[in-house]
Amino acid sequence: MVKIEYLTPASPEERKKYYREEWDIKQIPDFIAHSIQEREFGFDHVGRGPNDRYKVFRNTDLLKRFLKVRTPFAAYCSVAYYDKPRRRDKWTKAELVFDVDAKDIPIRTCECEGVCEICLNEAREIVCGIIDTLKQDLGLKNIHIVYSGRGYHVRVLDDDVTQVNSDVRSQIVKYIVGAEVPENEYSLDYEKVSYEHFVIPFGYPNVFTERVKYSILHLNEHSNLDEVNKKLLKDVLKYRPLIEDNNWGMFKNKIGPLRYKKVVNGIASMNMSLVDAKVSIDLKRILRLPSSLHSMVSMKCTEVKNIETFDPFKEAVPKFVYERK
Amino acid sequence: MVSVAFINPLSDEGEIIVRELGDFGRVLSDNDDLMQIVTGSRSQEISNDSFIPRNYVDLAIKRIEWFVKKKNDRNFDNNQYDFLFNTEILKFDVIAFYLLCQAVGVKYGPNSRESRVMVESQGKLIEYRLEKLSKNVREELVTNILNSLISSTHIKWTFFEDLISSKKLKLQDLILDQGEIILDKEDFLERFSHKIHGRKPEKMYEALIGDRIKELVMIKMVMQNTENYILKVGEKSDREIEPNPILLELADKISDVLAASVRSYGIGGSYSGSVKASALNPKAFPPCVKKVMEGMKSGGRNDAIIMFLTPFISYARLYPSVFSENITKQISDIDPSLSIVENEVLPLIFGAAERCTPPLFEDQPQDKVNLNAKLGFGMHQKPDLKNEGETIWYTPMSCEKVKIHLPSLCKPDENCKKIGNPLSYYNMMIWKVRKEAKTESTTDNNE
Repeated sequence: MVKIEYLTPASPEERKKYYREEWDIKQIPDFIAHSIQEREFGFDHVGRGPNDRYKVFRNTDLLKRFLKVRTPFAAYCSVAYYDKPRRRDKWTKAELVFDVDAKDIPIRTCECEGVCEICLNEAREIVCGIIDTLKQDLGLKNIHIVYSGRGYHVRVLDDDVTQVNSDVRSQIVKYIVGAEVPENEYSLDYEKVSYEHFVIPFGYPNVFTERVKYSILHLNEHSNLDEVNKKLLKDVLKYRPLIEDNNWGMFKNKIGPLRYKKVVNGIASMNMSLVDAKVSIDLKRILRLPSSLHSMVSMKCTEVKNIETFDPFKEAVPKFVYERK
Repeated sequence: MVSVAFINPLSDEGEIIVRELGDFGRVLSDNDDLMQIVTGSRSQEISNDSFIPRNYVDLAIKRIEWFVKKKNDRNFDNNQYDFLFNTEILKFDVIAFYLLCQAVGVKYGPNSRESRVMVESQGKLIEYRLEKLSKNVREELVTNILNSLISSTHIKWTFFEDLISSKKLKLQDLILDQGEIILDKEDFLERFSHKIHGRKPEKMYEALIGDRIKELVMIKMVMQNTENYILKVGEKSDREIEPNPILLELADKISDVLAASVRSYGIGGSYSGSVKASALNPKAFPPCVKKVMEGMKSGGRNDAIIMFLTPFISYARLYPSVFSENITKQISDIDPSLSIVENEVLPLIFGAAERCTPPLFEDQPQDKVNLNAKLGFGMHQKPDLKNEGETIWYTPMSCEKVKIHLPSLCKPDENCKKIGNPLSYYNMMIWKVRKEAKTESTTDNNE
């Protein structure tokens, strides 16, 4: 396995080597290859952002020729489908995307500056949770995961969601990340009943429980949660083994109900940063092209077949990195 | 049995009532039957003639008046509007509903304040009408209406795409499983009973779904259909040359009711109608704006200063009532010489940019052009009247958008619960400050 410190920016020669010797058009996932004519492509040739936009390819051979000749710093492709992609005109639909960037996730047990094995693995855990909810709650099935080089893209292509607007996407994001504390008091005919989120093993309360569990288990003494002071944080860390065993009632009792409320409020407000919501609501976004090279970190943007076992340091490292002296 | 049309005027029963109306001109004629039902309503206040609608158009106005006053008037007396809850008024009420939708549709369209009030008032009216029914009647009615609105027992969540998009329903309000919304008790028990431990699944169903969610879904669907109907009327009227003058007159009256509410109560909860452009008071800024004013760290700087702060400061200073007036303006309409922009607006924004780490315009000087563009002065270094209109003067981001684009900024305080836009927060606080100052000066004078 390659160490993170070897993953320095790729030189123009290494890019050439990658696209001409290692890269294969077959590595582009079918969900993109089959709709290549309907998508916009964008390229960054010098490392200053994708300013070569509105590119269109009639077939994969033409894209192959372009990449082998130009060996770009970065390559992107739209999540949107157009009738006239060259002008980004006549939008027909767009994938629903969740972008989990390891360097931006709000709770990281590592303290690295950029990304490292630890936070990349934490990004992977978050992605697993998102996929579970997309399948279990929203009933979505056509889900693809792409390792982007610094995190993951979850790309959903079910017909149910590809035509929904930004407002619906924004609500989906809030549901998926657990951005709001669920109600815990309900009125019946003659009484009020109280159900904390953790006693409801389905629906949104269950999603929220899973997200809170993840966050609490990843907090450390330097973590920063709204309205949670050092003393409370210390108590949360002390009693969190109870949560590992799903002993929520006991955990809440140990912390105290009012302080527990502060903790879950703090986590809910932080959860919106689990994904980059701007990406999810953007109907015309371009995303890094799977199979292309992330030249800044010398890693391959790769479609992930099995997220449970995926290891970017084994499966997304181009050959030229092993040849570096 | 209460008619479905009493709750959902857009139902088949409602349409039959409309078809039976006959001559449209009748809507302005005094109607003895209507007045008899009104005065015969159990708790109806009849001490003043103005409490009693004399015809269909009067009744339509009363519907809006009820909603606006109930929402804003502390001394609101429901007995003045008791007839709205008398089921005998059905036929008149349905016609009044259609008159309102058509008047709003032809004159203001679906995105207007009038349309929002009409849709919200229908939702509230349904809620209060249901409350006055017995449990059994209420349950039966809700089930009947839901069955007519939803044909399948397996409802995909995407069926409610419109409701979710317009935020009438939140996904979190619903119990979802495998892409379906669970409303039916047997379905719930079959799917979840085995997962529930230590609690009665039946009771959990009643609490989490039961009548509450069924009613919520039904009400929101009727509201959405009302909005869609207004949209349809608006589109149709665009194609027709001359709208009926009765509808135009009614539309003006609706607008008058809303304008009167702005004068009396400071607009339906948003306060912005009563706030005029005046010098900025940073103490009234919402927490998110205060945070940006302190300076941002690298990463969120551009969006925070350019996309968020620039529209907020410029509108708060120059056009705080933008959302209630709903009229597009340019900065020069309010500040013809641009002296306020130069002396009050830009210094605040530049100050916040300077406090960023690193200072925003030091390493990203091109963002001055972006800032200028957000004020409507095109892609240029400084605001200049000759370039005005090349770009749009961006309106302030809503709280919803702040949460998406700049989640780290949103640290709500108690006052945030009542508002949906940082500008509304500012207007509300300014309104409160002025009210308190007025009270204090009155007290001083009395002393």
